[in-house]
Amino acid sequence: MTVISNVKQCMSTIKGIEAQLSILALNSQDDEAQRVFHDMMNVMNEVKKDLQVRVNEILFEERQYKQS
Amino acid sequence: MSEWAHIFIRAIIFITALFFMTKILGKKQISEISFFEYVSGITIGSIAGEVIMGLESNIGHGILAIGIFGIITVLMDYLSLKSKNVRDFIEGKGTILIKEGKILEDNLKNEKYTTDELSSMLRTKNVFNFADVEFAVLEPTGDLSVLLKRENRPLTPKDLNMNMPKDKVPQTVIMDGNIMNDPLAASGKTRDWLQNELEKIGVTLENVFYGQVDSYGELHVDIYDDKLKQPTPQTRPLLMAMLKKCQADLELFELETQNQDAKKMYKKNAQKLDQAIQKLEPYLNT
Repeated sequence: MTVISNVKQCMSTIKGIEAQLSILALNSQDDEAQRVFHDMMNVMNEVKKDLQVRVNEILFEERQYKQS
Repeated sequence: MSEWAHIFIRAIIFITALFFMTKILGKKQISEISFFEYVSGITIGSIAGEVIMGLESNIGHGILAIGIFGIITVLMDYLSLKSKNVRDFIEGKGTILIKEGKILEDNLKNEKYTTDELSSMLRTKNVFNFADVEFAVLEPTGDLSVLLKRENRPLTPKDLNMNMPKDKVPQTVIMDGNIMNDPLAASGKTRDWLQNELEKIGVTLENVFYGQVDSYGELHVDIYDDKLKQPTPQTRPLLMAMLKKCQADLELFELETQNQDAKKMYKKNAQKLDQAIQKLEPYLNT
């Protein structure tokens, strides 16, 4: 397993968590619980974006490494 | 008319009269009888019995007597609702039997309770050691209410500074294999959703004895076949496990990478996930 596949795997897990949180936010009866799930869903989204940026960086670096 | 027929008719009339009387007097009569209500209840009953069995007496007189008792009871209830003084007079006040861990012997004597009776009442409240009691009141209904000392009270989440999510009342959506429509609507779900969920856990509607939707929109079922192992909803514990795994992964990446910016980014996000785990913990641990 290379670094990039590990990071990608982590990112997809984060995506899965985000989706699950969104389901929970929709299904919960309690307003407070809904709000917490929704907030955490947004946090997951931020983490996902950061990881995406990192994946792109690694991809770019690898390409340079192969060319040289 | 024979005597049999008389008794029959009278019994029917009085059962109806008593039924309406109890409806008017309300639930209070059953649960927390004050002394006055206790006496009036007994009297109403014995008047009814007397008139039904004693054929010489007049039905009208009996109904009148019952009516008077009923009206006065209702009137007293009404007055005691309006005025605290009347309430204390009619329903009586509680008597403090234990205060600050000390038994008040005079009050005990006034209420004509012996030490044995007091300790027996404490035992019914699961208190075997009177020193554990901060405060105990003998209620007008004859019950003993006990407040334990702080250190002897059961531990609550509040004592542990735990943040507990609010629970909504679970909605019972399936009973005896039938879908209950109103609770289903109240939980914001449709019949299609229910069918889907049942398919997911692999049971048919006819097989479900009891099904509830909890405050997270998860379906819990009890099926007729008790031997069959049934799955419990796992989504939330699974989600928690996934979160923890990701958090650990990010910390690992932070250690592995040489790039300083990436290190910072991983660290920041690992912290974010850590905070998320802490916030979600009360909701995800079932």
